[in-house]
Amino acid sequence: MKKQGTIVKTNKMEIKVHSLGRVEGDLDVKVAIEDGVVVDAWTEATMFRGFEMILKGKDPQAGLIVTPRICGICGGSHLTKAVYALDTAWGTEVPPNATLIRNIAQAAETIQSIPRWFYALFAIGLTHRNYASSKLYDEVVRRWAPFEGEHYEIGVTVSAKPVEIYAIFGGQWPHSSFMVPGGVVSAPTLSDITRSISILEYYRENWLEKILLGCSAERWLENKTWDDVLAWLDEKPEHRDSDLGLFIRYSMEIGLDKYGAGPGRYLAAGSFFNPQRYRYPTIAGRNAALISRSGIFDGEKFHDFDQARIREDHTHSFYRGSGSYHPFEGLTDPVDPIEGRKEGKYTFAKAPRYDIPGIGETPLEVGPLARQVIAGRPGAEEWQDYDPLFLNMIKEIGPSVMVRVLARLHEAAKYYLRMKEWLKQIDLNEKFYIKPKELPEGRGFGATEAARGALADWIQIKDGKIENYQVITPTAWNIGPRDRHGQRGPIETAMIGVPIKNPEDPVELAHIAQSYDSCLVCTVHAYDAKSHKELAKYEVIKMC
Amino acid sequence: MVNLLWMHGGACNGNTQSFLNAEEPTVIDLVTDFGINILYHHSLSMEFGEQVRRLYEQILNDEIPLDILVVEGTIIQGPNGTGHYDMLMDRPKKDWIWDFAHKAQYVVAIGDCACWGGIPATKPNPSESIGLQYMKEERGGFLGTQFRSKAGLPVINIPGCPAHPDWVTQILVAIATGRVEDVVLDDLQRPQTFFKTFTQTGCTRVQYFEWKEPVEEFGQGTRKGCLFYEQGCRGPMTHSPCNRILWNRQSSKTRAGMPCIGCTEPQFPFFDLAPGTVFKTQKVLGSIPKEVPQGSDPFSYSVNAALARAVAPKWAKEDMFVP
Repeated sequence: MKKQGTIVKTNKMEIKVHSLGRVEGDLDVKVAIEDGVVVDAWTEATMFRGFEMILKGKDPQAGLIVTPRICGICGGSHLTKAVYALDTAWGTEVPPNATLIRNIAQAAETIQSIPRWFYALFAIGLTHRNYASSKLYDEVVRRWAPFEGEHYEIGVTVSAKPVEIYAIFGGQWPHSSFMVPGGVVSAPTLSDITRSISILEYYRENWLEKILLGCSAERWLENKTWDDVLAWLDEKPEHRDSDLGLFIRYSMEIGLDKYGAGPGRYLAAGSFFNPQRYRYPTIAGRNAALISRSGIFDGEKFHDFDQARIREDHTHSFYRGSGSYHPFEGLTDPVDPIEGRKEGKYTFAKAPRYDIPGIGETPLEVGPLARQVIAGRPGAEEWQDYDPLFLNMIKEIGPSVMVRVLARLHEAAKYYLRMKEWLKQIDLNEKFYIKPKELPEGRGFGATEAARGALADWIQIKDGKIENYQVITPTAWNIGPRDRHGQRGPIETAMIGVPIKNPEDPVELAHIAQSYDSCLVCTVHAYDAKSHKELAKYEVIKMC
Repeated sequence: MVNLLWMHGGACNGNTQSFLNAEEPTVIDLVTDFGINILYHHSLSMEFGEQVRRLYEQILNDEIPLDILVVEGTIIQGPNGTGHYDMLMDRPKKDWIWDFAHKAQYVVAIGDCACWGGIPATKPNPSESIGLQYMKEERGGFLGTQFRSKAGLPVINIPGCPAHPDWVTQILVAIATGRVEDVVLDDLQRPQTFFKTFTQTGCTRVQYFEWKEPVEEFGQGTRKGCLFYEQGCRGPMTHSPCNRILWNRQSSKTRAGMPCIGCTEPQFPFFDLAPGTVFKTQKVLGSIPKEVPQGSDPFSYSVNAALARAVAPKWAKEDMFVP
């Protein structure tokens, strides 16, 4: 086998980067490079566990136990959408207290994930020696170097705090199954509420305001445009020198604002329900009850989210055949990757697509940037989240690695404030659960926003057992392959045009992949690397 | 300085996430104060791509000594024993793990998947997943009954879905600080210091268990009662310190009102999640729990229970965990 990364004379080469560590799973990226720039890319998910197959024929509530184990990072989000899939299938009544606790738990997991992802996964890449010539490099290393960095330790340690709130209501994190159809299993006491508030304040004081923002959460959230952000930077030394301030300045210096745009089209399934407006969860009533709204942005216009318009295409995925199906009709019939490759298949991820009216089946980016773009859609109710900052940013400076990371950090301030509000609204003397009737037949859809993006389950129950269960993870949306129309998945698109300094050490690709924070363990399906023979066949791509 | 390599097979990364919640010591303390040198961890290391390949080769060529191999996740053997469902650098991951296991002084399985196969190995086990030295409760697993690491030990099993961070850090520190002889394994190769007691040991609902008072329903219903009678709680039959060493320094499933699902035991998930088994106590003759505390039997248990119910004090019917 030839050594990968060999530079061939034509200046056209292909390298395969194995195991882009720190995207929380197994991801192989194959890129075609011409004159030092990526001209094509394939993301290959390399693992298959078959959760959807395991769920078939099981107890209807098995999803509450099984689906969190798809991904240990967003297990609480898996639980959230799994319970709503059952609530809609069984037609339950969910008391407001239970909705509040579900919201709090979901947000707790997300604000845990923000510092953990930024320090343990993303920022350590910024200490790469490629950037040693930057004026800010020494400061970046001092703060963000793995294990040694001053803020690395603070960030990783503080990330364990918010999930203490999850444990107060749910017993433990990760992997509690405390949300059940009709509500939650727990009935908190006064001290549970007090401790939760106190843990939240610890998070704010010790990290959110002191380290990340250099100002109050409220002050940061006053920024409505990119110009506001630039003015905020110059307003006080504390702003410039905060981790957020340093990240923005450093990104603009090393070019993180110049690449990794992705498809520029976004989907959010939405999250957090108004406790009064989702007492009787239905698929049809879901959009109107969401606090963080769902929606599609096609690059120009907004569209309402409709789960009926979602398809999963598996033309290039290691599953038998090559159809594109709605998840209620979804199939998971794996093939040996060796066989699959002969048909042009290359990954265990399916390719989720959304049928946009007038446009057709489209790959869409999901995640914090998608959520924050949708948050800029006009017409929000006063109790819903309206936040125009990121819609303005993608219009002013375009999406990029930097903007995607900022969207994620931005949410820490937002969710902290929401959680405090929800904790205040819990009425300790009211119900937390209303026992549902377990129907032997039904169809349900449940969705939420994991830290990494839209996450949804489709369940069909027949004769008191699961007939079909399909999960679409944020990772599948972002990391999915080409579809039958040849449209690339979002990360494949984001890789195109990236300048690679050193093909032996393509840190730029790692930044992009990590800005999406796909946990490949979070796809229900994954892939097999090429056999050597085929690799050789692809070693030099002919770009005509 | 001990070298640690963390491999993940068919994993959800939940054990890594749990491990990152460790507080005394923190993961960072492990590295900076206890001399654990993490050669590579998929979520914590800087290296990727070719650098990792080189590191792997150096371990296999004996250029870098491997003191501790940690495995998280199942060993994926599918399809048809090829391992093609989980590849790493053009090679089945199972083959890498096999090689490293035979180089390591100690092999530690963290979480159910690595210990026994866990959720991915639930029927029909589409990925042909298996644990390192067990398949469910059957000894053998991927490495075989006879396997011993270079230090002469079988695989050290730290089960749980996920394992609690303290169970993990304390065993790693014991190895790193030369106290490994203090680690005594039970007959499922679990450190007995954690797995001798029951999940019920220290449960706040144990007084209700004593007087046989059930939780009537979830939510506000969990302000009193024990989850063993109706909600299928496995606390009396499960070995874990969940109510001695609390989760996230706060609570436990059973304290919060969630039935224990027995996730430290090799049979997890119990009954293969068959219809009618999730959050429901399995019964014989309509009212007697099919499974009773270890060492008892359904008949003598029910005689005992009838007596306890007859003499229960009045407060045993009342809410205790009130706002």
